[in-house]
Amino acid sequence: MTDTRSTRRLAITGVLTAILTAVACFGIFFVAPEDADQGIIQKIFYFHVSIALVGLVAFAVGAIYGIRYLRTRDAHLDDVSSIAIGIGLAFSVLVVITGSIWAKASWGTWWVWTDPRLVTFVIVLLLYAAYFVLRSSVEGELRLRYSAIYSIAAFASVPLSFYSVRVARSFVHPVVFTTGGANMSDAMLVWFLVSLAATVGVFLTILQLELIQRRADRAMRRVKMRLEAMA
Amino acid sequence: MRGSGLVKRFGDRAAVDRVDIALAPGECLAVLGPNGAGKSTLLRMVATLLRPDSGALSVCGQELPGGRTRARAGIGYLGHDPLVYLDLTPRQNLELYAALYGLPDARERIDAGLDRVGLRARSFDPVRTFSRGMAQRLGLARALLHDPVLLLLDEPYSGLDAAGARLLDGVLADLGSARGAVMVTHEVERGVSLAGRVLVLRAGRVVLDEPVAGEASAFRARYEELVA
Amino acid sequence: MNAARPSWFRQLRALLLKDLRLELRTRDTLVAMVLFAVVAMMIFQFAFGGRGQDLSAVSGGILWATLALTAVLGVGRSWVPEREQRVLDGLLVTPVPRDLLLISRAGAIFAYLLAVEVVAVPLVTIFFVRGQEPGDLLLIGLVCLLANLGISVLGSLLACLALFARARELLLPVLFLPSLLPVVIAASGATQAVSGGTNDLAEYRGYCLFLGVYAVIFGLVAYATYEHVFDD
Repeated sequence: MTDTRSTRRLAITGVLTAILTAVACFGIFFVAPEDADQGIIQKIFYFHVSIALVGLVAFAVGAIYGIRYLRTRDAHLDDVSSIAIGIGLAFSVLVVITGSIWAKASWGTWWVWTDPRLVTFVIVLLLYAAYFVLRSSVEGELRLRYSAIYSIAAFASVPLSFYSVRVARSFVHPVVFTTGGANMSDAMLVWFLVSLAATVGVFLTILQLELIQRRADRAMRRVKMRLEAMA
Repeated sequence: MRGSGLVKRFGDRAAVDRVDIALAPGECLAVLGPNGAGKSTLLRMVATLLRPDSGALSVCGQELPGGRTRARAGIGYLGHDPLVYLDLTPRQNLELYAALYGLPDARERIDAGLDRVGLRARSFDPVRTFSRGMAQRLGLARALLHDPVLLLLDEPYSGLDAAGARLLDGVLADLGSARGAVMVTHEVERGVSLAGRVLVLRAGRVVLDEPVAGEASAFRARYEELVA
Repeated sequence: MNAARPSWFRQLRALLLKDLRLELRTRDTLVAMVLFAVVAMMIFQFAFGGRGQDLSAVSGGILWATLALTAVLGVGRSWVPEREQRVLDGLLVTPVPRDLLLISRAGAIFAYLLAVEVVAVPLVTIFFVRGQEPGDLLLIGLVCLLANLGISVLGSLLACLALFARARELLLPVLFLPSLLPVVIAASGATQAVSGGTNDLAEYRGYCLFLGVYAVIFGLVAYATYEHVFDD
């Protein structure tokens, strides 16, 4: 049965993710070197950047499965697309929150409009919140089709938003990539990769959990219909 | 026109469930059935307005969905609504449709069409000022404008006035050997008297598909039994 | 039945002519859009310039905030006659290619926006900019054309998605405005770069290029998905 197989796969992913997360937390707080300039607050970088990257990947998955849905009209693909976008949206919220905390710690203010990545995530938040507004206001097969189309359009908006915000800032004052990226020590990089892997694990776990849930819902509805037909 | 194994679901409910339908040239088919039997859904699939969830469909010699644009050139569709802009005049509406169908002699056709449905005198008034029957007659002119080989009619008599109904009777009686018509209706007697063949739907399934024989009133009893 | 394929150009012209005739008869959309744009400018004036501040430095922003909000009105009017007068099936049973329906929609939105801009751009210049040079208006006109392209392509696509939605009037701005933010950023930047005597042409070119890229990208998205919008 496919059901037991997907349940087993979920269990394996879940356990691996739990282990990875534990390892990542341990490594980040007890093993990785403390940043010379920023101190302890720099630890948030591991979460913030991992979540941001996986969030973007989630939206990409949403768009790719949206395209695949349009090609095949298999409702299962829409499930994957919409769940991935839902997770991406939740991750975006976390990105904005952790980013805001980080901004407070390093710049002394909760919000800066000068960081194009953070600002982009707010736009992304709006873009994909609209996705769910669209989903809830259209019914039936149209919902799946229109969501798929919008998931593609929204994903095209992401780089455009980022670029436009960045260009606008760069004319005011040039953007310098000071945080993360290039000036990471090797030990930091290793722990960053571990936390990235853990975040991917979280994404996959939630995705599978939701997929099983939806399949169960659908099976339940079918059973109900059959019962009603018999009655 | 030919369709086999057509299925269309709305949510979990199958509105049309494994329906086979075929229409030979020169034939007029009446699709009967109670409300909610899937008649309109079936017709909308044939009219290329709805894509079946499964099944094969070919219309005007074109396999759908691949040949749908070509198939559409041969379809004349008339539904509950006249499908014309109320804020445009009959002439402007027909000019739009003539261009969309790519008709070469648009002016003559539009004049002839307006004459036929008796709206020539009102051809410069906005449709909004028309009565329901007049608007539906314009709808008939629109559906016939491009001389379709396949007429698809969804309860066409519901909005037509007496003059329009006579006109449509004439069109259906005079199909010729190259054209065909499918008429969806819940009026059993009218369907049987006009069509050469009937197809009865009940809850999305075909329960009867046979040539019309005998009196309309005799068929009525059988029909009641079938859909009960 | 006609063997010849209907001419693409003739179909497009007929669809646009239909929109023009409807607009001329009812005058619903354009009057409302222009009035809305003027009122929006007033709101910006009283919200930001209540004490007689010089708003020259933000005039580009005011222009494009106004136009973006006005565009929502114009896009929202798309398909309204078809829906209210129930003509959509009539269009869909004709052998008109579905991309033409989107293109004609985009053309109508483009025309509406252009008509509003003809009023709004000079008005913003008069209201908010001190020391405008007439030559700048041409440069701003180019920004309008480029921005309209992107707005109308995206707008026509999203208007179709909202076509059968509940609470359509609310859904459309929520869908439309976030994706429109890049246009607002770039167009107001470009306008600002050349208005009020500050002629920063490098910046202007950069923004215009971006607006072009934006239009192309959404053009591609629309091209890739239009078949699935009217799926039949």
